[in-house]
Amino acid sequence: MSNSRAQEVLYESEAALRLVDQELHDLHEMSREDHRVNSTGLADLPQILERANAQILSVLARLRESRAALQRSTVDNLHVTHEKLREVTSATEDAAINIMDACDRATGLVDELDAIDAQPQPDRAKAGALRSTLRDELFLMMGALQFQDITSQQLSHASSVLVDMEQRLIDVSKLFDTNGTHEGTVAIPANASRAGSFDPNATTRDAEGRQALADEIFTASKAPAA
Amino acid sequence: MKFLVVDDSATMRRIVINSLQRIGFHDTVEAADGQDALSKFDSSVKFVITDWNMPNMSGTELTKVLRSRPDGAAVPILMVTARSVKEDILTAMEAGVNNYIVKPFTPQTLKEKIDALLPVAAA
Repeated sequence: MSNSRAQEVLYESEAALRLVDQELHDLHEMSREDHRVNSTGLADLPQILERANAQILSVLARLRESRAALQRSTVDNLHVTHEKLREVTSATEDAAINIMDACDRATGLVDELDAIDAQPQPDRAKAGALRSTLRDELFLMMGALQFQDITSQQLSHASSVLVDMEQRLIDVSKLFDTNGTHEGTVAIPANASRAGSFDPNATTRDAEGRQALADEIFTASKAPAA
Repeated sequence: MKFLVVDDSATMRRIVINSLQRIGFHDTVEAADGQDALSKFDSSVKFVITDWNMPNMSGTELTKVLRSRPDGAAVPILMVTARSVKEDILTAMEAGVNNYIVKPFTPQTLKEKIDALLPVAAA
């Protein structure tokens, strides 16, 4: 169930509660009326209580439905958030390993350059090739740091899910705040809703496959019409 | 040739600029979002590389604004973004980007896309 559907059910529950409140109020008015007309109106009390009971059962059923809806949507959101956080961990680890591997290779290349320098007649051509490879390795290390941008977007998404859940919990608590005493001004971090500044689907996975899709679309758009 | 590199991630801006320098393009100017980019764009900029998701103004919005300007109508715009579903790619294309790179990218991919657009930049 989507967040918006859960929100709808929540609002419907709130509306149902208002209906029950109105119904009880009407019953109360009715009993006062009965009392004025006939002081022996106690005979109608069982029917009045039955009607009230039916309304309360209806509201409880609606509340159970809304609770189930909220639980499902919350569980879904938490599952997605959990996956995102796992991917952040994985991407961070992959990047660290790639950088460490590149460091190892770079260190080996420096050792080879030292060995060439130590020779009576250094092989300049070989040293030049090694330096070029060394530059490639250093550049590869920098490229591996792209994970930071992707994981930053994943964390922003996870943060937005938590803020959304917090807001919905506030909404639920307001439903039961009949006296309007709710102090629901929870301080949400200023940077929590950077809507538009992150992609909820950002991932480090299958970059080649995703690039191939983009290439296919752009190539197709440039192809002359048949 | 002057490149305008637009990304809200300082890390990505640095990676892209280093990649450009590595393939021989040293004249770069950077911007942190679309609005910042517009304030730095002028006729001396011959190539724009932009992210999509940014605060204040997105890469697609920036592209549309540039395409509506006489000095930005023909400038090559390369989108470099984490967004990669088909609908997004089509949206970027409709906004007016010339090509599209999915993050994380390789330096080779960046070079290929720039090389392919150099004739547009030179025109």
